[in-house]
Amino acid sequence: MSELDMSQYLGIFLDEAGEQLQQLDEAIVKLEQTPDDLDLLNTIFRAAHTLKGSSASMGFNRLATLTHRMENVLELLRQGKLSVSREIIDILLASLDRLRLLKDSIAAGNGEEGEVEDIVARLEAVLSGEAGASRREKAPGGEALTLDDVEENVIRAAQVKGFQPYEIRVQLEEGCQMKAARAYLVFNNLKDAGEIIKSVPHTQDLEAEKFDDTFTLLIVSREDADTLANIVKSISEIKDVTVRPIVLADEHEAAAAAPAADKGMDAPGARANDRTGELRVTQTVRVDVQRLENLMNLVGELVIDRTRLAEVGNGLKARLGNEELLETLEEVSLHIGRITSDLQEEIMKARMFPIDQVFNRFPRMVRDLARKAGKEIDFIIEGRETELDRTVIEEIGDPLIHLLRNAIDHGIEEPAARLKAGKPRHGTVRLRAFHQENQIVITVEDDGAGMDPEKIKARAVARGLISREAAARLGPREALDLIFLPGLSTSDKVTDVSGRGVGMDIVRNHLEKINGTIDIRTTPGRGTCFTIKLPLTLAINRSLLVQAGGRVYAFPLANVVEIISITPDDIQYVHRQQVVVVRGRVLPLIYLGQALGVAGAVPAGENYAVVIVGLAEKQIGFIVDNLIGEQEIVIKSLGNFIGKIPGIAGATIMGDGSVALILDVRSLVNDLGVEASRELAS
Amino acid sequence: MATETAAEIQLVVFQLASETYGVDINHVQEIIRMQSITQIPRTPAFIEGVINLRGRIIPVIDLHKRFDLPRADITNNTRIMVVELGRVTVGMIVDSVSEVLRLPATSIEPPPPMISGIDVAYLKGVGKWNERLIILLDLERVLRESEQRQLEQEIAAGVDAR
Repeated sequence: MSELDMSQYLGIFLDEAGEQLQQLDEAIVKLEQTPDDLDLLNTIFRAAHTLKGSSASMGFNRLATLTHRMENVLELLRQGKLSVSREIIDILLASLDRLRLLKDSIAAGNGEEGEVEDIVARLEAVLSGEAGASRREKAPGGEALTLDDVEENVIRAAQVKGFQPYEIRVQLEEGCQMKAARAYLVFNNLKDAGEIIKSVPHTQDLEAEKFDDTFTLLIVSREDADTLANIVKSISEIKDVTVRPIVLADEHEAAAAAPAADKGMDAPGARANDRTGELRVTQTVRVDVQRLENLMNLVGELVIDRTRLAEVGNGLKARLGNEELLETLEEVSLHIGRITSDLQEEIMKARMFPIDQVFNRFPRMVRDLARKAGKEIDFIIEGRETELDRTVIEEIGDPLIHLLRNAIDHGIEEPAARLKAGKPRHGTVRLRAFHQENQIVITVEDDGAGMDPEKIKARAVARGLISREAAARLGPREALDLIFLPGLSTSDKVTDVSGRGVGMDIVRNHLEKINGTIDIRTTPGRGTCFTIKLPLTLAINRSLLVQAGGRVYAFPLANVVEIISITPDDIQYVHRQQVVVVRGRVLPLIYLGQALGVAGAVPAGENYAVVIVGLAEKQIGFIVDNLIGEQEIVIKSLGNFIGKIPGIAGATIMGDGSVALILDVRSLVNDLGVEASRELAS
Repeated sequence: MATETAAEIQLVVFQLASETYGVDINHVQEIIRMQSITQIPRTPAFIEGVINLRGRIIPVIDLHKRFDLPRADITNNTRIMVVELGRVTVGMIVDSVSEVLRLPATSIEPPPPMISGIDVAYLKGVGKWNERLIILLDLERVLRESEQRQLEQEIAAGVDAR
């Protein structure tokens, strides 16, 4: 699993691990009271098992090792080979605490810092029947260090970070003249090797030479005991040094160690931070999606008012001419405009997710599908980090699955066929996402067999989807469009992956729902590329405002191919259908008012503005009375009382407070375009 | 409602084609002056279009057309009564809004079989107040059936398209 994938799941893993640890904690504590509760034991076992599994799959070996040992102990308990005792509960709880420390360390971006060997050893001891064998060792001699809670916690935290605590007993030579200086040297030299947590007597007393000739230090260090001893021995007038690792017993308080560690252990802490790697979990707040939606709505209102404000300013300027106050108004209006844009962008970003959320499940899917289909496929994903609106993300998954399945099942040939065609054995499927202007572009490309327009036509005819005559009239691009008809499949055989004739129509429907477009490029024998274009967000849309039949309408800019100006002479008739020839291409032409059923024929004029809209390969020219301009609009639904009106996608509120309708280009083109092109063809 | 005793209902009284109507005040959100309405193509004739009500898009229906009453000119008194019923907010064009009345429940009688052309099914009853007759509209019926009609049209259109 790559690091990117890891961080993707890390938050979830940590959340779940936290919950499982909490559950284990409660259950194990309960188990102590009711040792014979088998259900409870099973619950504990399951939680531990789940944790082991998820830790292992995330690559956290220490977590996995430790939970695995716990699981073994629990298994013995379950089988009745071991009975619940306080010692065992202690060890289990201690294990939990260690797990929690590891988890916290991972959450802090430090990876799995800390040893588990000691606790694993204790669990092993339980397994081999020596439950509770490892108790706290008594330090020899009277001046054993007694540790308070804070110190223990510091030690534990240090252990997690890979430091080992040692007790260093230093005996100065008798008659040493500068005991304080020697002590200072000992401190100073050891500072490079680790962190001194405590000294007996206290440092102040050492400085004041208020000690006989021995003092004891508590140090955490990554060095081994000999190294530490040698460091001390290198100082003169030292008579004797004993370095002894400290073993802490029960660790119930360990969880509390982390904060204390931060305070007490500057040096190791800093070092750990240096290594803060890709796994650092970014700080997040969970916000109800509805809140973001509301914010977005409010910003939408602001966008409207921003436009209104500018309009009021312009109106005043036209009436009053240049006035100082007006200039200020203009400035303020501009500033508000800029802030609104920023705000809009920020909130849009807050709703954005990297597309990897959708992409990340594909490699596995492609692998499985390829294996099933007996094909060899290199799957390449590019642009995982491309961000888009969550509303769009939710809708894009299914179409992509369909396209990938098609690529694998129909696109890429079997290895033998590929070799025969002089292509590499491995087919390549490339999934790519990137930003282009105000859109997201996603391409699904394969280097497979491509699609043969003639074959598609033949199939459509065979399925009774179009007549033979109609098929004959279709150009190659239009023929390709046939694959979006329900009930057409280009594969010769039906597999359980695809080939049942459902798919491409669903793909297109899904994309339409989110104002997306899909485009096909294919070369027989060379491969196919589907290009999906999506708006960044569904809430705010750049639109071209036009006037027709005295009313204002908005064309989503994504659908506008170009705007041309024609004279009545440019309009030609093919079978009573008005057409215009644009760069050699014949486009059906219709008056927008007429298309919407709100006006009759085109009013007479010398010049007509024509908005050419396109959806995939289908293009139509709409004659409009006037072009108003480009504007950002907020899409509002017409509500469920009115419901869905063919040709209308919704409404928006203009700067002057009036309502303009947003055109649903897809349904306009489908309703009229099909008719128009049919007429054109007949 | 808490302010209302069981024996009384509060009505917003309005004029429509020279008859006096009333609707339960609890459904009336506000009453606004006539304003420019954006027509929507391909909708039933009684749907006048949509207006912008402080940032909300509200559909407006013409009750004359809804009930096949003689068309009235838009005057200074013409109002849009914004009513809210469940999830639907709709503006209704009425000739004028006259007053708010409290009507004892006892003075309300079931609708007579025929009242100036409006289907009795859309009426809740008739209230008598100072010798005047107030026709009580069953808003739920009016709005719900509008929706239904719309739906049927859609279905019909869908069938045509096949």
